[in-house]
Amino acid sequence: MTRVAGIRVMVVDDHPMWRDAVCRDLVEAGYHVVASIGEGAQAVRLAPAARPDVVVLDVQLPDLSGVEVIRGLLAAHPTARVLMLSASGEQQDVLDAVKAGATGYLLKSAASAEFLDAVRRTAAGDAVFTPGLAGMVLGEFRRLATAPADVDTPQLTARETEILRLVAKGRSYRQIAELLVLSHRTVQNHVQNTLHKLHLHNRVELVRFAIEQGLDKDEK
Amino acid sequence: MHESLWRAVAVFRVGALCYAGVLIAGNFDEYPHPVAGWLVLAVMAGWTAASIYGYAAPQRRGWPLLVADLAVTAGCLLASRWVIGPAGLTEGLATLPVAWIAGPVLAWAVSGGRRRGIVAALVIGATDLVVRAQYNQSAFTGAVLLLLAGVAVGHVARLAVDAERRLQEAAEREAVTRERERLSRGLHDSVLQVLALVQRRGLELGGPAADLGRLAGEQEAALRALISTGSPATAAVDLRTLLGRYASTAVSVATPAHPVVLPATAAESVVAAVGAALDNVRRHCGPDARAWLLVEDEPEAVTVTVRDEGPGFPADRLAQAAGEGRLGVAQSIRGRLRDLGGTATITSDPGSGTEVELRVPRPVQRASIR
Repeated sequence: MTRVAGIRVMVVDDHPMWRDAVCRDLVEAGYHVVASIGEGAQAVRLAPAARPDVVVLDVQLPDLSGVEVIRGLLAAHPTARVLMLSASGEQQDVLDAVKAGATGYLLKSAASAEFLDAVRRTAAGDAVFTPGLAGMVLGEFRRLATAPADVDTPQLTARETEILRLVAKGRSYRQIAELLVLSHRTVQNHVQNTLHKLHLHNRVELVRFAIEQGLDKDEK
Repeated sequence: MHESLWRAVAVFRVGALCYAGVLIAGNFDEYPHPVAGWLVLAVMAGWTAASIYGYAAPQRRGWPLLVADLAVTAGCLLASRWVIGPAGLTEGLATLPVAWIAGPVLAWAVSGGRRRGIVAALVIGATDLVVRAQYNQSAFTGAVLLLLAGVAVGHVARLAVDAERRLQEAAEREAVTRERERLSRGLHDSVLQVLALVQRRGLELGGPAADLGRLAGEQEAALRALISTGSPATAAVDLRTLLGRYASTAVSVATPAHPVVLPATAAESVVAAVGAALDNVRRHCGPDARAWLLVEDEPEAVTVTVRDEGPGFPADRLAQAAGEGRLGVAQSIRGRLRDLGGTATITSDPGSGTEVELRVPRPVQRASIR
């Protein structure tokens, strides 16, 4: 079990009641809450000074989209890991945020213990998947596979697909490890890999978009 | 559009007035009472101006103006008999107003449709016949033309009014939709968040508070489903929206982030089969038993899996139950899927729960909402 003390957490949520409840839980559990913020732009601005290990981020903020906040945060403080929270129902937003670099996702209705565990795992560099997120990631890879043929379209290995399906059907990593006779760590790595592929693809797409738009050329 | 019809009537009156002026100037020498002829023309010019002004504003287009219009026009027509004289009319001279008499017919038709157009046309047509005092083909042709004009213009006016009303209804409907979207955003930012908080805190506190938390969670899911079903019922539906109603604290629903489109009838069957599977989970594993739904969208088929962590059953029990002729739920689920050309696979092991996998082939012609 990773030590919790000293993990720096930044909470970004526009709902004050929520923010307070989450911060209280974190402090009680021994985390170091370095900032509690209601706006995305402010979070991006404060990130270099606050140096959070984990950013707990509401997917829908009033000023910036989840994608914009994550890009800003990771540009300003690249070692931060982003755990997203949402009141669910905004699937495309969640998927876009994951593609932009978030490594974890949790429903706001998750129990406190589950939430604290997710923060700990995010800090340790693990990907935190709900069944819902696994379903979206699976769907996204299938969508990419049927989209017009592309040389560098990412694909899941058979094993990765198998594991994501099991996660989406509610199995814990431990159950999956037992079922497939793998180590817990290996299951973890497979899940993480699927996210890396999406992040990488997203970056390639951004670069290609920039080149197509001529954004790589110097302004004359 | 209705307004431009009124402007067209005004243009017609001015044109017809000019034509009447030209004819009166030309036939001046043949009238027994030429000065009276000019007087009638002056009245016609005055009424043309007055009626254009009168009909310009919607609140002035009432019965007084319509009746006055008809009376003045009939009066000018009747005056022709005295100004031109029976002899002149019999020789074939035109009446003083000529085509100007169609003005009130058009006005009546535009104001109230075909029926009013016909009434005005009958009044003016009868007056015209009285003035001419001869009943030959050309006299009747004038009356019939008036009648046809009344009917045609009345019809067009009715169409214009209908079109305008429909346009306004569409605009109102759009406003309502936009208001609903605004409300749903508002709900999302406030009520749903609070419900999620109550659910979370309640579950932590346990006991009676946990029940409250569960209730809040169910309401959150119900409310979310309510505000997200904005799309009209069409032939193709998004399976995610339909299955979303099963989401609760106990049931997790995992889907792609893009719409999973199926024909409405197929989607309803799948939803009913999933409902039956979930009922079965509750019956065998208790009302709070957890279950997981996974929707997978592939080019050739849509797969929905329902998994629970109940006691499960030995693999041979299904076959045994089928042999004994009692296989209610499994049979109804399989039947629904078979009707769709799909399959239902039920797997279970004691201790590791049950998995029901529903696979629906896609129609060859794939509808794309993306």
